[in-house]
Amino acid sequence: MRQRLWTIAGEVCRVGSLGPWGLLSVLFIGSLGSGQLSAQSISETIEDVSPKVVKIFGAGGRKNLYDYGSGFLVSPQGHIVTVWSHILDGDAVTVVLHDGRRFTGQILGAEPPLDLAIVKIDGEDLPHFDLTRDVGEAGPGATVLAFSNVFKVATGDEPVSVIHGVVAARTKLSASRGVFEAPYSGPIYVVDSVTNNSGAAGGVLTTRDGRLLGMLGKELRNNVTHTWLNYVVPISELQTPIEEMITGKFKPRPSEDDEAKVTVRRFSPRDFGLVMVPDVVSRTPAYVDRVVPGSAAEAAGLKTDDLVVFVGERLVPSCRVLLEEFGRLEPGDPLTLVVRRGDRLESVQLTTPRNSPRNDVTTDSP
Amino acid sequence: MPSSASSLLLLLLSLAAPPAEVEGLTDRAFQQAAALAAPAVVRIDTVGGREQLEPGMVSSGATTGLLVSPDGYLVSSAFHFVSQPSSILVTLFDGRRLAARQIATDRQRMITLLKVEAERLPTPIAAPKESFRVGQWAIALGRTFEAESPSVSVGIVSALNRVWGKAIQTDAKVSPVNYGGPLIDIEGRVLGVLAPLSPHESGDTAGVEWYDSGIGFAVPLVDILSVVDQLKTGDDLLPGLLGVTFKGKDLIQGEPLIDRVRFGSPAEQAGLKPGDRLTALDGSPITRMAQLRHILGAKYAGESLRCEVLRDKQTLEVDLILAGELPPFTPAFLGILPSRNPGDSGAAVRFVWPDSPAAIAGLKSKDVIEQVQGIDVATPAELADQLGRLRVDAVVKLRVRRGDKSAELTASLVLPPTALPTDIPAPAPFGVQDRPEGTKTGRLMETLAGHDREYWLYIPENYRPDQPHALVVFLHPSGNPSEQGALAAWRAECERRSIILLAPRVEGRGGWSPNDQEFINDAIKHVREEYTVAGDRIAVLGMGNAAPVAAVLAFRQPDLIRGLALIDSPPLGRVPENSPERRLQIYSRARGASIEAAKWTQAVSELRKAGYPAVLSRSDEEAGAYPTPESNAELVRWVDSLDRL
Repeated sequence: MRQRLWTIAGEVCRVGSLGPWGLLSVLFIGSLGSGQLSAQSISETIEDVSPKVVKIFGAGGRKNLYDYGSGFLVSPQGHIVTVWSHILDGDAVTVVLHDGRRFTGQILGAEPPLDLAIVKIDGEDLPHFDLTRDVGEAGPGATVLAFSNVFKVATGDEPVSVIHGVVAARTKLSASRGVFEAPYSGPIYVVDSVTNNSGAAGGVLTTRDGRLLGMLGKELRNNVTHTWLNYVVPISELQTPIEEMITGKFKPRPSEDDEAKVTVRRFSPRDFGLVMVPDVVSRTPAYVDRVVPGSAAEAAGLKTDDLVVFVGERLVPSCRVLLEEFGRLEPGDPLTLVVRRGDRLESVQLTTPRNSPRNDVTTDSP
Repeated sequence: MPSSASSLLLLLLSLAAPPAEVEGLTDRAFQQAAALAAPAVVRIDTVGGREQLEPGMVSSGATTGLLVSPDGYLVSSAFHFVSQPSSILVTLFDGRRLAARQIATDRQRMITLLKVEAERLPTPIAAPKESFRVGQWAIALGRTFEAESPSVSVGIVSALNRVWGKAIQTDAKVSPVNYGGPLIDIEGRVLGVLAPLSPHESGDTAGVEWYDSGIGFAVPLVDILSVVDQLKTGDDLLPGLLGVTFKGKDLIQGEPLIDRVRFGSPAEQAGLKPGDRLTALDGSPITRMAQLRHILGAKYAGESLRCEVLRDKQTLEVDLILAGELPPFTPAFLGILPSRNPGDSGAAVRFVWPDSPAAIAGLKSKDVIEQVQGIDVATPAELADQLGRLRVDAVVKLRVRRGDKSAELTASLVLPPTALPTDIPAPAPFGVQDRPEGTKTGRLMETLAGHDREYWLYIPENYRPDQPHALVVFLHPSGNPSEQGALAAWRAECERRSIILLAPRVEGRGGWSPNDQEFINDAIKHVREEYTVAGDRIAVLGMGNAAPVAAVLAFRQPDLIRGLALIDSPPLGRVPENSPERRLQIYSRARGASIEAAKWTQAVSELRKAGYPAVLSRSDEEAGAYPTPESNAELVRWVDSLDRL
């Protein structure tokens, strides 16, 4: 599965390792000729997809809370996938199709950790995405179309708005790092157009030829750069819970948030014989102040003035993050540290002690 | 015309009703171009660094870089290195992680050169300038997401030679996600390196507010490559400065008529004089300020410039070497507060600063200064202009009228004061005009149209429209509106000294961000439309975590803001050097027992070094709540003396 998602990325890496520039022109021309071309134009796609996307009206309407949203049909009988939001706070919502047909929708189920909800209207032979057939995947640079009732531009018997862009990236939303405040964390598409605005969440992203890529996310701001992120949750992440909700087999997953809350900080750098510099400013770099003689850290070769830059795969921009990462360790976990010593990066292997950690770890807390 | 037949063809076809095949080919071409350039695109992470001047907008996450030599030189946008990170890490396309060193920055084009220790690295193909065409496809690449391939945004080249000849403009989405990455053409060649830039201002973070707006800039890679060898020496490349100011401030209309020549500048050394008209630079004729900016925009410090000037109907030609830095401009201090009463004839003195050059020379309040160095001055503004042309150590002859006698006094000017007098009497009220019907006074709560955001105002109950008022824009710390405290500390003084207090509000835990600048400016504009505000006495007061945004407002808008006051936060960050066009004065109040005294002293001394009058005031009062009226009194005196000379 993962392998398939990354065919384009795979190509890039292979090309790079072959010896960068010489062979590329060959590949460039070659691929243009042999590329698989889709048979449907963008105009035809819009005609085909628009009727499958619906306008949803519900709770809200007060200060800063809009009362409209988007959703998409996934069955001829009227199962609608949408985003979990305050619009669904009432018992029922109003659903308006592209041709102006108006329905009352009941909330069939919701999975807040995925920002996912299913609304059911009573209909027959409705235009819809067949989740076993009409789905696709796309890599960076691929043209995509976003369909949603952004800003409630469409009213009554009008199709929703279409915004065109390209896939900017396939990446992960890592909510745990405080950069994004979203219930969802997992794989996402990032789009290079402003697809996520008021009312757009719950709409769809499709390929140029109309295959469903995913559901448009909510408005989301990066807390570090203060920039907005236009993201889409891939349909592959939603497919199983959607099917389970429709068939009534759905069981909510335990929330990862609750799990995180009960986790106590188990380990600290001192458990390895590392004394870090005092954490005085908001971004104190994680320099090693002292290595305790005879400790595991000393045996691994760590030295005073080493700057810890990675704990495992995570970049350590400050002492605070270092303490967080050590706090997450479980007894016996392997621990890889990358430290900067002068102009070199050194990788160091440690093992988290198996015995119970010290009890006074709080002395290391910021 | 067409640079590349294939890309133009694709563009034309896709603008007409495109068949599916062409759409597919276009997509494929984008992806191939990205794949071609990708190996030279690296991710850059930074660790540590100074606290930020502008919260939020200074990138503290990852950024992108572009390799430019097989032996490990790479370039990125200078934006990311504003905070002077203590360590820089580069992740190559193949996942290798390397420590990087910052070598030097081109401060004209805002591009930083870095170095990693590696060999046989992939380098990009630079698109030649002759191939640049407005309308051609342009693809912006970044490597900041956790992903195996670079992020992609597709647009076109919107314009060339933007930002005074320095940059390509594109409508591809450019933001902290891809600053430092390449803008490539459909053939995968690099057009330029993405960077925040603005034609209206310079500085580390200028242009960031345009992120993802469809207005993005890239500095041509060929231009960067031509200076890489110079940057390798480790010295920053600086914009070339001439050291003159012009009478016309407007770029489009303004004429290049020299108003002032800075002391110790290349222009002074070359003998340029006020009143000279620049007619050509390096052989290109000049009639407007914008043309001058275009020519200087491409010049570095150390480069030569040939100026043709017209003086007394004679054309002179001088050659000079542009400077990277000018000796900072520090306004000279005489020690008077001029009268604000337009009924007073001439430049009358309201108050003489104790122990100042004016006091030592024997000036007294109610004196009228008639001449400075033999030049007539008829108003306080003319007096200010003449004093502004003098060096800080100048000995100045003043012709002064006292009653019906005139006398010549001599004053030895000094550096601006670092403290305030213990008492500055409130100005005597003047004017008899009644308040027009319907003018609202007192504490007002309003919502700014067009922004849907709230602010509160205090308008003195004795407000009269013929009395120019000082305006204090109070930015509260986020989560602590401090309204009662601020009102208690200011209300009586607003009445006594004709001060209007304006307090825009911020909601949400994020607090102030540079995005709020427009709202704050519009609120100031609205108050100035409704009430009489003295343009030379507008101050912004930032408390706690509002200090950075207050500093941005003040330093970026020298025409609008004349005073910057900070409570509970030292003035941190790089500041632009003072110049005769900036009249900014700074007041900084450090409270609480745990203040980092050294940090404040250092910050204030840096401001003074840059030429700004700065007052540092310390108190043992607890930080947090708005200062008491007693504690606030010094700040009030500072506001009431912003027009001092």
